[in-house]
Amino acid sequence: MAERSLHAAWPGWLAGALVAVAGAGWIAQRDLDRQHDAFDTDARIAHRLLSQQVVQHDAVLATLALLQPGSSGAPEAAPEQRLPALYPQVLRVERRERGAAWPDPSWQAAEALARERQRAVIADMDFAHGRYTLLRAAEPTSFALQIDIARMAPWSEWPMQRDGPVRVALQQSGQTVVLQPGRGAGGPWRFDFAKHLATDSQPFEMTASRSVGFGDLPWFVMLAWTAAVAGVTAALAAWRRQRAARRRAEELLRLGQVGRLNALGELAAGMAHELNQPLAALLANTQAARRLLDDEPPELDTARHAMQQATLQAKRASEVVERLRRAVQRPDSQAGARTVALAEPVRNVLYLLEPECTRRSVVPRWNGAAGSADVHADPVALEQIVHNLVMNGLQALEQVPPAERELAIEVEHGSDGTAALCVSDSGPGIAAEALPHVFEPFFSTRSDGLGLGLSLCETLAAGMGGTLSARNRSPRGAEFRLTLPLATA
Amino acid sequence: MNTPLIHLIDDDAAVREALALLIGTVGLRVQPWADPLAFLAGFERDTIGAIVLDVRMPGISGLTVLERLVAEGVDQPVVMLTGHGTVELCRRAFKSGAAEFLEKPVDDELLLEALQNAVRAHVKSRERGQADRSARERYAQLSPREREVLGLIVAGLTNKEIGRALVLSPRTVETHRANLFGKLEAESLAQLIRRYALLVDADAAAP
Repeated sequence: MAERSLHAAWPGWLAGALVAVAGAGWIAQRDLDRQHDAFDTDARIAHRLLSQQVVQHDAVLATLALLQPGSSGAPEAAPEQRLPALYPQVLRVERRERGAAWPDPSWQAAEALARERQRAVIADMDFAHGRYTLLRAAEPTSFALQIDIARMAPWSEWPMQRDGPVRVALQQSGQTVVLQPGRGAGGPWRFDFAKHLATDSQPFEMTASRSVGFGDLPWFVMLAWTAAVAGVTAALAAWRRQRAARRRAEELLRLGQVGRLNALGELAAGMAHELNQPLAALLANTQAARRLLDDEPPELDTARHAMQQATLQAKRASEVVERLRRAVQRPDSQAGARTVALAEPVRNVLYLLEPECTRRSVVPRWNGAAGSADVHADPVALEQIVHNLVMNGLQALEQVPPAERELAIEVEHGSDGTAALCVSDSGPGIAAEALPHVFEPFFSTRSDGLGLGLSLCETLAAGMGGTLSARNRSPRGAEFRLTLPLATA
Repeated sequence: MNTPLIHLIDDDAAVREALALLIGTVGLRVQPWADPLAFLAGFERDTIGAIVLDVRMPGISGLTVLERLVAEGVDQPVVMLTGHGTVELCRRAFKSGAAEFLEKPVDDELLLEALQNAVRAHVKSRERGQADRSARERYAQLSPREREVLGLIVAGLTNKEIGRALVLSPRTVETHRANLFGKLEAESLAQLIRRYALLVDADAAAP
């Protein structure tokens, strides 16, 4: 049976492991999804912010072209030179008066293109130094802004940590400016985002990427989940073990009872045969003798012989009884005696008889906390007595309606170095004429009772130097009181 | 015929002796046996009497002995004795053909009455067997024609009717009738029918 429960436990642990792994995987997947969503959202926000910036550049240039601020050398007359103070990303503002030339001759072509397209165009791209020049053609004066890409991002509103795990870059015509470098490339998972900024004049492609490594998984949650599953599995296994153990105990108890009954039956059958033979001979001899004496004339010699035989057989029968008594004589109970807490056998018995109590809807009352008397007794004998008394009480309670069933077990301290265990029930009690005989062997009020239980209990109690007494309670019910000597410390 | 003989089988010497003494007080002869196998091997099958058998014996149980006796066709009635009688045991004993089933220690009245009844029953069954045997022997002496005539007599036909049925003259029928009454040693028609009706039926049933 132990082996069976061990085998039965394996599928439980396997299922537990599967649930733990599946759950952890699900948690990891959920977290990856969440991280991906967060990455996407951040990248979109970054894209929108950068788009707003480049659109702003278009707007600044358009405003300059429209307002055409003065062109004399004085700084007050060139208010556009104050722009870098307003916009940190604007490094420099260039202007070309009609007829004048750009500092860089290649800008002429850009201006021509800008004029043709009626919008700003990129005149110069220097991503290696993180800058580019945006030019807009106008009359009489055209303007160009040199822009520092690194300062272009509005870091105060930036959705990501600059030293965070996400790499953000701008790309154009094979050139790349890295806005933030990101961390930990080469993990097993990778999120990517790529989109052109929302303006025709500066159609840089913003790319964002993030590499997710094992270290980014929610290990704490996953471990907590695994621990929880392990805990539940262990609890289930423990519960099953406990249930199996309990069932085993019940089975053993039942087997023990059946075994005792069988042994008793065997003993009775053997005894009957052993006694029947001499009794049969005895009876036949005496009856033959009577018939011989009745004969006319009486056959005295044969009758005398028959009576001698009868005497011999009577002796034989008595020897059988003597042999039987010697064979079943119990060893002295005092031999196994030691200090026992009176509560211990009661707890054991109540545990063992719990199914019996439940079946009869009886809830035994037991002042276990108060009853901590230590007595000098044989624990096995003591448990047997308590078992018998409680079982008797339960059987008596079958004769009253369930609502009136009460069973109480109490420990009382005597004044004279003894302790008493009282088992009382609210059953019909013991009939007055039966009360003096309850401890006699083969006396039973139940039709199926052997009448040996209480007799055995009394013998056991006496063997331990104690007494067992019975009385009726008022208004009704019976009480059995087992008195035992206290353990001498 | 000798006085009836009771075979008493019990392995316990004291019980055997005491029961033998008790049975002897009513004038029945007793042959005690300690060993059931020796009894099975050695007892005389032909004597009138009965068998008293203990159920619980070492080596072979009384029930087994009973079953062997029945299988052998032994006709002596068997009285079973047991120290520990159960309903099941009792049922098996009667099913196996026991005449009586008594519990030890047994009351003398019960045992002796059972034995006397058994002996009486045995005597009667032996007599009936004897009568059957002689009737069969006499019947065998009849000629086929006489058997036909007997069959019709038993069927209740008059001489005239028999003659018509067998295409014989009433006189010839009369002769056959006188012959078969003589051979079967029957003194009246009623006796003839009582003794031989079963034999005639059995003969007619057989081809």
